[in-house]
Amino acid sequence: MGEANDQGEARSIGKRREWLAFLFVTAVVVPFLTIAAVVGYGFVVWMLQVFVLGPPGHGG
Amino acid sequence: MKILAALWNTLKRPPVHISLGVIIIVSFLGGIIFWGGFNTAMEVTNTEKFCVSCHEMENNVYQELQQTVHWSNRSGVRAICSDCHVPHNWTDKIARKMQASKEVWGAIFGTIDTPEKFEAKRLELAQHEWSRFKANGSQECRNCHDYDSMDWNAMSDEARRFMEPAAERSQSCVDCHKGIAHQLPQQMGSVDPLLAGLVREATSVRLDEGETYYSAKSVDLYTDAERTEQAGVLQVATEVKVLETRDDSVKLAIAAWRKEKGFGRVLYEDFGQNISSAVLDKDIAQDGAMIETHQSDVVDELTGLPWGQVSVTLWAEKGAYLGKREALWETAGQTYRDACSVCHTEPAPEHFDANTWPAMFSGMVGFTNMSAPTQELVLKYLQMHSSDFVDAAH
Repeated sequence: MGEANDQGEARSIGKRREWLAFLFVTAVVVPFLTIAAVVGYGFVVWMLQVFVLGPPGHGG
Repeated sequence: MKILAALWNTLKRPPVHISLGVIIIVSFLGGIIFWGGFNTAMEVTNTEKFCVSCHEMENNVYQELQQTVHWSNRSGVRAICSDCHVPHNWTDKIARKMQASKEVWGAIFGTIDTPEKFEAKRLELAQHEWSRFKANGSQECRNCHDYDSMDWNAMSDEARRFMEPAAERSQSCVDCHKGIAHQLPQQMGSVDPLLAGLVREATSVRLDEGETYYSAKSVDLYTDAERTEQAGVLQVATEVKVLETRDDSVKLAIAAWRKEKGFGRVLYEDFGQNISSAVLDKDIAQDGAMIETHQSDVVDELTGLPWGQVSVTLWAEKGAYLGKREALWETAGQTYRDACSVCHTEPAPEHFDANTWPAMFSGMVGFTNMSAPTQELVLKYLQMHSSDFVDAAH
């Protein structure tokens, strides 16, 4: 009996972990990385405009 | 660290407890919410309410806009900040949003938080916008205004006279319409930023005795090192030799030609050419002890006037001279092309000779907004690059 209980407990911990990991990645990690990528892209373009390209031109 | 390891252990294995369907649906919904949130946030930062939420915008440019046709007009269409100041193209828009981090910095540290500070920065800020409009042909104006949709007959004759040629060349709107939505910088017409940059640069140029320099602006000349007795004015871009430096003063030798008729107050760059180097006070010009004459009575056959080669030694302020003239010419050439090409194709400087340019120039300069110091420099540039100085001339 004790063994089955242990197994059930391990299962519920595994389930908890899985959900936490899933939600953490979809709700926090990926949005954060996406915003970081867009911000980084914006900064790169801005710096290029400052040093190389000049202000955005026709249809830039 | 332990948590990260546990997280990684969970992630690298296929899920046991969550079904693939649930993962797909939750991820998909998460994507929708994120996308929507992202766009909403972007739109919020494009609203007027957001822009004027900092008092720098609210108290200055926002109040000025309300006096203009872009705020209220008979058609009931109005422009908000982002219509004109944020590029609509996605990449440029994102870059502009990132650029705004500098504005956040400014808001935190109060770079322009008083009307005085704002005015002091206005020219620089305006210049950023003008160069942007220059580069994209005033794209943000054209999102609403279109040359092709202009009805020439509905325009006043005066407007039409300028707008039709502009339309033919698809000219950038802000070339002419500076100050359409906000006040112009107060210094406009008195400070040329390019020239101001050179003048600033000149303050840090080291002056070595015996070397040749060029004035970056016109400077007052004095007979004494304490600079109490004024003797005249040295004009911009004039070659001078530094003889001595003392405290904040410098002793200059100016070599020149002058007409030996009248008081000989104006010193010229070269024989027979009305390119002025300096203007002396009458007493000084007549003072034989001040002026050293090297040649006299050289007659210019075109005018019959006798000229003399002279040199004069006077004191002036330090920090107004450059080692080379090229940067001055470059600035002047740029200003000349920008200002004149607004209305017509500008003639090449070598199209006229040095004595023709002054009349040509003064006839046209009234149509530009060049300040007096800039005019002086540009005229000199034109004369010094006229047919008299260029081999492949007319």
